[in-house]
Amino acid sequence: MISVLRDFDWRRWRLVLTGGTIIGLILICAIFAPWIAPYSPYDLDVVAMLQSPSGAHLLGTDELGRDLLSRTIHAARISMEVAFIAASVGLIFGTLIGVAAAYFGGLVDMVLMRFMELLFSFPAILLAVVLMASLGTSILNAMIAIGIVFIPGFSRLARAATEVVLREQYVEAARAIGMGHGRIVFVEILPNILAPLLVEAAVAFSYAILLESALSFLGLGAQPPEPSWGNMLNTGRGFMGQAPWLSIVPGAAIFFSVLGFNLIGDGLRDVLDPYMKE
Amino acid sequence: MGRLISTRLAAFVMTLFAASIVLFLTINILPGSAAKSALGMEATPQAIARFEAQRGLDRPLVVQYVEWLSKTITGDFGTSFQNSVPVGPELLKRIPVTLELATLAFLIANLVAIPLGTLAAARHTRASDKTTTFAATVLGAVPNFWLATLLIMVFSLNLRWLPPGGFTSFVDDPAQNLRQMIMPALSLGLVSSALLIRIMRASMIEVLSSDYIRTAHAKGANETIVIRRHALRNSLIPYMNVAAVEFGFLFGSAVVIEDIFRLPGVGSLVLVGIINRDFPVLLASALTITVFVLVVNLIVDLAVGLLDPRRVKGSQA
Amino acid sequence: MTESRQHALQDRIPTLRIRDLSIEFARRRGDALKVVDRVSIDIWPREIVGIIGESGSGKTLTSLATLRMLPKRAVIAKGTMHLGETSLHDRSEREMRALRGDRIALIPQDAMQSLNPTMRIGRQVGEPLELHSGYSVSSALEAAGKLLGSVHIREPEKRVLEYPHQYSGGMQQRAMIAMGLALNPQLIIADEPTTALDVTVQAQVLKLLREIRDQKGASILFITHDLGVVAELCDWVYVMRNGEIVEDGAVRQIFTAPRAEYTRMLLDATPSIHTTPAVAR
Repeated sequence: MISVLRDFDWRRWRLVLTGGTIIGLILICAIFAPWIAPYSPYDLDVVAMLQSPSGAHLLGTDELGRDLLSRTIHAARISMEVAFIAASVGLIFGTLIGVAAAYFGGLVDMVLMRFMELLFSFPAILLAVVLMASLGTSILNAMIAIGIVFIPGFSRLARAATEVVLREQYVEAARAIGMGHGRIVFVEILPNILAPLLVEAAVAFSYAILLESALSFLGLGAQPPEPSWGNMLNTGRGFMGQAPWLSIVPGAAIFFSVLGFNLIGDGLRDVLDPYMKE
Repeated sequence: MGRLISTRLAAFVMTLFAASIVLFLTINILPGSAAKSALGMEATPQAIARFEAQRGLDRPLVVQYVEWLSKTITGDFGTSFQNSVPVGPELLKRIPVTLELATLAFLIANLVAIPLGTLAAARHTRASDKTTTFAATVLGAVPNFWLATLLIMVFSLNLRWLPPGGFTSFVDDPAQNLRQMIMPALSLGLVSSALLIRIMRASMIEVLSSDYIRTAHAKGANETIVIRRHALRNSLIPYMNVAAVEFGFLFGSAVVIEDIFRLPGVGSLVLVGIINRDFPVLLASALTITVFVLVVNLIVDLAVGLLDPRRVKGSQA
Repeated sequence: MTESRQHALQDRIPTLRIRDLSIEFARRRGDALKVVDRVSIDIWPREIVGIIGESGSGKTLTSLATLRMLPKRAVIAKGTMHLGETSLHDRSEREMRALRGDRIALIPQDAMQSLNPTMRIGRQVGEPLELHSGYSVSSALEAAGKLLGSVHIREPEKRVLEYPHQYSGGMQQRAMIAMGLALNPQLIIADEPTTALDVTVQAQVLKLLREIRDQKGASILFITHDLGVVAELCDWVYVMRNGEIVEDGAVRQIFTAPRAEYTRMLLDATPSIHTTPAVAR
């Protein structure tokens, strides 16, 4: 056991571990929010409005006297939920499209990938915002909209990875022994293209958090009183002078979660592809 | 070069056409909601029917699209649902604001990324490289709208050096215009530079390890000449391709940043269109931003063609 | 040495003298890997000296050490190097820069990769003049035209304005040679300059190198793994293996009476040369 620890190459996994620690802490906040948070995120306290950080309220209170620390902890739930669901939507549909394009080739490939390239040419925020206009503002719709934004990226990656796998002998062999399309895709292709897609998923997580908070910041995502880092930051705008902590705290929360996922993504990329480094 | 331009132009027109379909369909796919938001939730079915009939919203989407497209091509962007004001002139007034914002931000991003990325690559594996890479990682995780808020708190509310928002045309008062633009451009540009630093560094490291750089050293060129004369241009070729995409993203982020700094640009018009469910406004402003993105990609593509002599002559694509 | 080198008697100082050169690669855990071990080489004026060996034998590292352009982790552990009366092993980087391209020129293996793809050929060929002799860009370009002409590139005034991808492989290598010749260096290091070329072009380049020696009086250090080329071009040969010099001698002697077992093996592996006594001059 000790020798396992000693032989573990900490330097190689440094980035992943750092990012993982940050995300781990945030996940703990998200999962155990009701037990960790000192107050309810919704309880108003008119007497304690816009209080600066103190012993009673470690990070101060907002314009309705709600405890900022508790709201920030609870908001981790929405961010993590959105990140998880949006990245999953992107991962699942993107992979399906990418694999289908590479597997069937020809016209299917051309039509699908042209459409993906087209979606890719819109700036992500613009696409998300326009989708929100069509779907209506709610946090569920924000997840869907952000998920759709991710589809082109995942599909491109899945297609490239599938093409590599298709050139391998064993897919030829599977075809030769009469394996069906479905089994070839699920048994031979998917397991072999997973690694790059997971790295991309880590990046998608961080991007989803950014996009969700931007949408909520604009009032298009999570709706008050439900706390989200984005809409808290939006509220904070009105009190930048009197209560700067209302802007600093939720922004820092976004920053650390994005940083955490980026570190994991960068780290995984280095570990999986040693040639990328140096 | 002529052929390169014409093929790129053709691709540009095709993409724009396809993009207009996607935008139109996305915005119009749910029927009826436009009338409801314009008339209020208590509107009678008759009133909604009348509203839709007046604006042709009851016809098939294809017909609506063709009509919208043919009008848009002639410069008629329709009238706002909200206040029946023509969208075209409003858009025209706002275009320079967004163009200025994104261009300034792009300039800042490159002015930071090209020297820092180059420096990090030249000091590859040394402390200053590690510092730069670390700084880029940190900067890349900062949400630009948070940076904008922090800048306002420091430079407008505390130090009172810069106005927290508003817009004055550059023609009317250049100094005031720049004072109002510097923070929005910085919040966009600095965050963008984070990614670009890493791209520039990677590109420069790759170039510096190539044989022709060894040739330059063997001729007796010093480090400065090697980088400025031999490595810079070659490493800018892959860099510019990424920078072009980033430039496009700056136009997208303008939606958020213009809102924070109360800049009357196309981005904030997108937001107005969404909040009022004013579809002609939303469609026109979103399409304008898409055109910006595509034009920027086209220009950068051609600029890279100029940097790379292999693409100028004997261009296949 | 059975056959004495005439030059040694006439000129008292060789163009390049390497004595006991050892090169090491620093490794992670502090120990060093010796890749070149106590190598001594002399190159006399107007001489074409070959170093022959397989890849990994240390021949390229030896030549790069002469320019003090070793890869980052490789260091000169021991030994001295002199270019005429100038010592090379203890020059500062700044002093070395003044010598590179001026008194020592490098003609690399892969001309295509060794030319800057986004810079006009003329500018690249004339650059040593810009760097060392204070030429302006335009006068360097004019000189580059003449240099290209001297390596038999047709319409050089027009060709100076072209880019590397517009040149054929043979022309690219000749442009590299022209670049090396710009300042009439005492020593030209040619690192397998013909490996990437087809046979007819290869012959032209070898002829050109011989011309340069004859007309400009430069010494050439020719690095190769090709015995045929050595036979055709060189006066004196060093055989390298695993970082050490196995034997050296005049070309005729190496081909007719090799002393080292390894040299014999090399010769046996290329039978056509072994049997043909058509050794250069």
